[in-house]
Amino acid sequence: MKKVHVQKYLLTILGIVLSLIWISPFYIILVNSFKTKLELFTNTLSLPKSLMLDNYKTAAANLNLSEAFSNTLIITVFSILIIAIFSSMTAYALQRVKKKSSVIIYMIFTVAMLIPFQSVMIPLVAEFGKFHFLTRSGLVFMYLGFGSSLGVFLYYGALKGIPTSLDEAALIDGCSRFRIYWNIILPLLNPTTITLAVLDIMWIWNDYLLPSLVINKVGSRTLPLMIFYFFSQYTKQWNLGMAGLTIAILPVVIFYFLAQRKLVTAIIAGAVKQ
Amino acid sequence: MSRFGKGLALLLVLLMAFSVLISGCGSKSTDQSNASQSKTETTNKPVTLDIFQFKVEIKDALQNAINTYMKENPNVKINLETVGGGQDYGAALKAKFNSGSEPAIFNVGGPQDVATWKPKLADLSDTKAAKEAINGTLTGVTQDGKIYGLPFDLEGYGLIYNKQIFSKAGIDPSSIKTFDALVNAVKTLDSKKKELGIEAVFAFPAKETWVTGLHLSNAFLSPEFDGDVMKAFNSKTVEFKYGDAMKQMIDLQNKYSVQPTASLDYSTQVEKLFGTGKVAMIQQGNWVYPTLESLDKNFAENDIGMLPYPVPGYKEDSYPEGVPMYWAVNSDKPAEVQKAAKDFLDWLYTSDEGKQIVTQQFKFVPAYNGYSADSISDPLGMQLFVAASQGKTYGWVFMGYPNNWGQNVLGADIQLYVNGSLTWDKVISHAKQAWADARK
Amino acid sequence: MIKKAKFFKNGIWYWLFIAPTLLSLIIVVLIPFIIGIYYSFTDWNGINQPVFIGLKNFIALKGDTEFWNSIFFTAKFAVACIVIINVVGLSFAMLVTRKIFARNFMRTAFYLPNLIGGLILGFIWNFIFVDVFQTISDATHIGWLGGWLSTTNTGFWGLVIVTSWQMIGYVMVIYIAYIESIPTDLIEASKIDGANSWQQFRNVVFPLIAPAFTVSLFITLSNSFKLFDQNLSLTAGAPGNTTQMITLNIYQTAFSAQEMAVGQAKAVIMFLIIAVISIIQVYLTQKREVEM
Repeated sequence: MKKVHVQKYLLTILGIVLSLIWISPFYIILVNSFKTKLELFTNTLSLPKSLMLDNYKTAAANLNLSEAFSNTLIITVFSILIIAIFSSMTAYALQRVKKKSSVIIYMIFTVAMLIPFQSVMIPLVAEFGKFHFLTRSGLVFMYLGFGSSLGVFLYYGALKGIPTSLDEAALIDGCSRFRIYWNIILPLLNPTTITLAVLDIMWIWNDYLLPSLVINKVGSRTLPLMIFYFFSQYTKQWNLGMAGLTIAILPVVIFYFLAQRKLVTAIIAGAVKQ
Repeated sequence: MSRFGKGLALLLVLLMAFSVLISGCGSKSTDQSNASQSKTETTNKPVTLDIFQFKVEIKDALQNAINTYMKENPNVKINLETVGGGQDYGAALKAKFNSGSEPAIFNVGGPQDVATWKPKLADLSDTKAAKEAINGTLTGVTQDGKIYGLPFDLEGYGLIYNKQIFSKAGIDPSSIKTFDALVNAVKTLDSKKKELGIEAVFAFPAKETWVTGLHLSNAFLSPEFDGDVMKAFNSKTVEFKYGDAMKQMIDLQNKYSVQPTASLDYSTQVEKLFGTGKVAMIQQGNWVYPTLESLDKNFAENDIGMLPYPVPGYKEDSYPEGVPMYWAVNSDKPAEVQKAAKDFLDWLYTSDEGKQIVTQQFKFVPAYNGYSADSISDPLGMQLFVAASQGKTYGWVFMGYPNNWGQNVLGADIQLYVNGSLTWDKVISHAKQAWADARK
Repeated sequence: MIKKAKFFKNGIWYWLFIAPTLLSLIIVVLIPFIIGIYYSFTDWNGINQPVFIGLKNFIALKGDTEFWNSIFFTAKFAVACIVIINVVGLSFAMLVTRKIFARNFMRTAFYLPNLIGGLILGFIWNFIFVDVFQTISDATHIGWLGGWLSTTNTGFWGLVIVTSWQMIGYVMVIYIAYIESIPTDLIEASKIDGANSWQQFRNVVFPLIAPAFTVSLFITLSNSFKLFDQNLSLTAGAPGNTTQMITLNIYQTAFSAQEMAVGQAKAVIMFLIIAVISIIQVYLTQKREVEM
């Protein structure tokens, strides 16, 4: 038993050291978000002379914080919701029904992940522009299109682990397909849903290129779009950029903390139901 | 079946919720097409102008100018959109045009851009601004007697130096009027590095291919094309007649620079090294002024100057000066939108109110006549303005290089040259070859 | 048999369940991609009316050494990334799913790099490679820490390090999901049987998380081939376009060189290459999964 304890301590220390190395680049973001530009360039690594909040104030004002924040939040939440619901439904249908079409459609979803974004972006905005759909909701729809592949892919893998006997029993009881999916399968897929949400949130919350092409109304811009205004051809306001970035990633960090807890409960709940 | 029906109902509700979301937001964007609907109406009818521009530095000032203009012209509504990040304007503009919401006013760079965008460009020769534009600033956008762009401003570059370091080293900047004098000054500075507290004489940002492949090369290719961008644009070949002088300049800046230069970028060069007094000199232009000002106002106002960019055998006491970007008006827009666009640009550059904004708020060196010298607000711009009035400038030709040649061929090869993996002869022969291939 | 019949018969729900995602995929990805393929056979520059020119763009690519170099560079990069990201990502997942002190902190720390992208990431790492490495090198006289990003080799490893740093947390999340779904009694049982850690891993954990490999390998493969932002912000191809990856090459062709159609042709080729590699990879890993 003692040997196990020593091993555990060593692992803990190793883990903590690694984590600190891992987040060290964030140290650069954080300390420099409190510095003036001159201080930032003379002493990038040192602690700030004082906890000056000017950068945060200026950044918050220039970002139109409340507006950009709610835009980003709405787009992210809606996108993730519909990606999770629709792609788990699709994966359920594709995994449970064994026909030629299900294999082919699954392949299409998988292969679509390999299409480089740069090669579709111009035709995509041309198509959406034609239907006057270059709006926030158009953007959400695009995220469904780009995100459903990974969603279907992950859910499909997870569904392999859920025995079909569950569905069959429910079918005999006269449950509809949707009920089975909604009441039995979806709760069992919770761990995957949270995993998917964690992966997608960082993509959608931080995405720059797609929103920059889609959103052009002044009031609809997202945080990454606003942060990019700190950077221009010749003038890069790193101090404001760092402050803006800190503001922007904080909610996601909090979400991740909460999601971790949820993940554990979800797994326990899933296990009980099984 | 009834349960299935329930499930279906829920699905439909979800879809409907989604479509409500869609239409809820979608309805907001319809006013964009207003402009094209009023084709036959008179000019008193409200006109909507969309401006799509790349210069983030003037974003807020331009918005202020627009607000002023809209107050005076209540029938004109102007939407300003600026591309952030400073790199992707070309891509963003193409996406914009393909998406169907074409802007009325946008930016083009020079003859190459004019050739690409020609079907979309309106003739601007009837504008007041075009008549007031300083001689030579319109050559790059003139084709068949039509003027397709109005200059943003004038920019110029040279060797920006730190006055305090120079005076500590006992060097009189006004004596540096030839390449040889420059070499001597560099050697003196280098020998006193310790006392002066500098890391090196130069910071040479070879990572930025626009600094090497466009600006640096421009100085040595300009004489080959008589400083005429259209000659460069129409030339089937490039000779590098001043190639040896170019090599000397690269070698000088590279040898006496903070190392390694192949990974040195713009921000490091201007802010981290020059802005904090770690190097004595950098090859840059008047656009660095706002950046340096935001670092240290006092330093920017009092301690910097610009040495000429010497090309031995051509002009040694002059500055390369040119127009970085032009305003273009979309010819696909209805006549009254085009007219409103031209009126706005005329107002911006030729009215007293506009002039005030251009010099004081944009901090531009004007590319138009009718501005007084003392309206220019920064010392670098001032120096350029004076040099121009004394004829001590030569033209920019890099807008006439083949697409991508300057940065992706020449600038990229210079990186390999400074890190020692490519000989100079290879750099030149590859560049000549690529130019000829592109102009076949 | 009766229930089986019912199980397969009713086809409506099947299509209803698939429709929303399939439609969005078709509208958002497939149609634009097909339009893009059409453009690759034209002389389109992004603005003009495209004229059909057949295979000209593809034939011209034969002599485009920079393009093939970028493919070779990307392939090398992908191999390095796939190995590093999956080995380290799995190790991290194993570590933080143990009942050790501060495991939630570790999880968050490893995941954090996912939260920043593009330009800012480039600046921070540029600073670390160019300044911090140089300072350490000057102080300790360790030669290889100096001059990062100024040569092809350091540019390559710089990109691998940044990408791995970012992506490891991503695949870690996937591995964690699978590891945590392993019923604890299985592990307990193997402990009682006297299995050591390695045996536990090899015989109990590994087979159960095999599907995670299929997923993670596929994702790392496609993401490393499609990498763009990091490439642009960290090296931008310097020195001399020798660290230019395929997507950056395509982007430069389409927008800087204004040869949209040639860029689309390159994208088609790139797609074919990764499609073939991924299909082989998925096929092999799935075969292994079944065998285990």
